[in-house]
Amino acid sequence: MIQYVIRRILYAIPVLLVVAFITLWLFDIAAGDPAAIKLGKNPSPEAVAALHEKLGFDDPFLVKYGKFLWSTVTLDYGVSFTDDTPVRTIFARGIGPTLSLTIPAFLLGTLVSVVLALLVAFYRGSLLDKTMTVVAIAAISISSLVYILVFQYVLADQWKLFPIWGYEYGFGALTFVALPVLIWILLSIGTDMRYYRTVALEEISRDYVRTARSKGVSERKVLFSHVLRNCLIPIVTRMAIIVPFLITGSFLLEIFFGIPGLGNTLYTAIGNSDLPVIKAFTMLGTVLYVIFDILADVSYAVLDPRVRLQ
Amino acid sequence: MTTLSTMDAFDEQDLTVARTPTQEAWRRFKKDKLGLVFLVVIAIYFLVALWAGTFGWGGSYEVAGQTRPAYEASMGQLGIQLDGKPFPESQVPPTLAGGANTILGTDALGRSVFYRGLQSTKVAFIVGTFGALLSVVIGMTLGLLAGFLGGWVDRVVVFVYSTLASIPYLLLMLAIAFVVKKGDFADWYDDLKFRDFDVSDFISLGLLNLVVVIGLTSWVTLCRLVRAEVFKVRELDYVNAARSLGFGTGRILFRHVLPNVFHLVIINFSLTFVIAIKSEVILTFLGVGVDKEPSWGQTIAGAKNELMTGIWWPLATAGTLLFGLTLAVNYVGDALRDALDPKLKT
Repeated sequence: MIQYVIRRILYAIPVLLVVAFITLWLFDIAAGDPAAIKLGKNPSPEAVAALHEKLGFDDPFLVKYGKFLWSTVTLDYGVSFTDDTPVRTIFARGIGPTLSLTIPAFLLGTLVSVVLALLVAFYRGSLLDKTMTVVAIAAISISSLVYILVFQYVLADQWKLFPIWGYEYGFGALTFVALPVLIWILLSIGTDMRYYRTVALEEISRDYVRTARSKGVSERKVLFSHVLRNCLIPIVTRMAIIVPFLITGSFLLEIFFGIPGLGNTLYTAIGNSDLPVIKAFTMLGTVLYVIFDILADVSYAVLDPRVRLQ
Repeated sequence: MTTLSTMDAFDEQDLTVARTPTQEAWRRFKKDKLGLVFLVVIAIYFLVALWAGTFGWGGSYEVAGQTRPAYEASMGQLGIQLDGKPFPESQVPPTLAGGANTILGTDALGRSVFYRGLQSTKVAFIVGTFGALLSVVIGMTLGLLAGFLGGWVDRVVVFVYSTLASIPYLLLMLAIAFVVKKGDFADWYDDLKFRDFDVSDFISLGLLNLVVVIGLTSWVTLCRLVRAEVFKVRELDYVNAARSLGFGTGRILFRHVLPNVFHLVIINFSLTFVIAIKSEVILTFLGVGVDKEPSWGQTIAGAKNELMTGIWWPLATAGTLLFGLTLAVNYVGDALRDALDPKLKT
C-alpha cells in the first residue's frame, strides 16, 4: 500500500510539471502585457520597463517556468496585478465563504440523492422508478444558468424568501447561502441520483442479497442494512473525487449571489487578466485533484478488503 | 403433414431471423415509444436549423425605429409577409398584435424573440455536432491506439489524458478560448480564404472557438472507455483469427475491433452534444462564446439584467428551446445506450 502511494506520487510529478508548462504557456499567450493592465493607458516607457523588470516579464520562458515551479513548491505566488495583495492572502480570504456554501450543499445533495436512489432501486421497474428517471433526465437538461436566474428571480426577488445578493461572515452566512445551496442540490441531484441508482442496482443483483432474502430478511432491511453498507464504498470514493471541486468553489453561484469565495475571486481575476491569481488557481486546483485522486484509490482499498493496490 | 401445420402455427415473427447488429439495435430502440417521440423532436429542431441556415446570419435583425420599407425588406428576407401588421417600436411583451413577430415579444433592440430563438438552433447544431465530432474523433482514435498497441503508445496516451483531466475544467476551457480568440490565430483565421470563400464569414471565430474548446476538453471520458474495451476485445478469438490470417494492424483495428466498440462512440457523441450546447451558454456568459450570431447562450446571458426589470420572455423562450433539445438528445442517448449494449439482449 505504502509502495503504491509512493509510486502514485512519483507518477504525479511529471503530470504537475506538464500542467505547469501548459498553464504558463497558454496564459502567457492569452494575457498580453501586464503593463497595459497595471499602468493604464499611455504609461511612460520607463514605468513599463521598470514593471517588466520587477515582474520578470522579459525573462526567457524557461526562467519563468522555473520561478513558477518554485512558487508551487513554496506556495508563494507573489502579488496580484490589481492591488498588490499577496495571492496567498486572497486565497485565505476566499476559502471560508466558499466552503460555507459547498460543504452543506454537497453533504445535503449527496444525502438526498442516495436516499432517492435507494428508493427508486427498491421500487425498480415501477411507475415511480420510470417517472423519476424521466424527471432526472429533464432536470439535467436545464441550463445551470437558467436555474440560477429563475430561482433568484422567483424565490428571492419576487417572493422575498431569501436575500438576493450578499454575504455575512459567521452564522449569518446561513441565510445567504441557503438559496445557492438549494440550487446546487437541484443541479447535482439528476446526475447523482442516477449514478447511485446504478450502484444500488448492481449491489442488489449480488449473491449476498439472494442469501439474505432466502434467510427471510425483509426487503427493507436487505436494502438499508446490507445493500446500503456495500454502496458506501463507491459513495465515499466519489466523494473523495469531488472534494477538490468543493474547495475551488462554484463559479456561477458565487458570482450571482455575491458570495466572496474563491470562485468569485477567480471570476474577478479573469475579468482583470490578473495572471498571478489565475495561474496560482490553476496549479492549486490541479495539485488538489491529483492528491484526492490518490486518496480516492486508497480509500477504495481501505474500505473494500477485496481490493489490493499493486 | 402435422409437422407442417405446426410449423405454420409458428408465425414468421416467431422464427429466428438473422438481423445485423444495427437492425437488432433499431428493433430494440423502437420499443421505447418516448424515445421515438424525442427522435422526432430532434428531427424538427434539425429542420429548423436548416431553415435558419438558408438565410445566413442576418435574418431577424429588424431593429425598432427602422423605417417601414427597411423592416419589411428584412422580414421579406425571411420569407415572412407582414400583411399590414405593425412592426415593433420598442421592447414589447408577448402579444398577438404583430403576428409571429411579436408572438413571444421582442428583445431590447426590437428584434423578434420568436425568430431569434428559432435561428439560434443553427448555432446549437454547429457547436453540438462539430464539438462532439471533434471530441469523439480524438477520443476514439487515441483510445483505439492505446488499447490495441499497448506499450509506450498506451503509456503516452494515459499520461496525456490524466494530465488533461487534472487541470480544472473551466480554467482549461478559458485558457484555450483566450488563446483562440486573442492570439495570433485570431488574425490568421480572420484572413483565411479559399479562393473567394471567406471561412470566417461562414463560421465566425466565436463559433470555431467553442467547437475547439469543447472538442479538446471533452474527449477523455470516451478515450478511457474505448481503451478499456479494446483491451478486452483484442484478446478475443476473432481478433486472433484475423491475425493468423495475416491481416495488418490497420485492417484489424478498423474492420474488426472498431465495430465492436463503436456503440460507445455513438452514445458518447450524444452526451458530448449536450455538454457542448450547455457549455455554449456558460462560455458565452463568460464572454468567450459567440458574439455575432444569435444563440440561446447570448439570450440567456443577456437575461441577467433583463429579468430584474420584469422582462422574462427572452429567457423563457431561449431556456425552453434549449431545454427541449437537450432533453430530447439526453433521452435518445439513454435509449441508445440500452439498445446498443450487446450484453442486454432481450
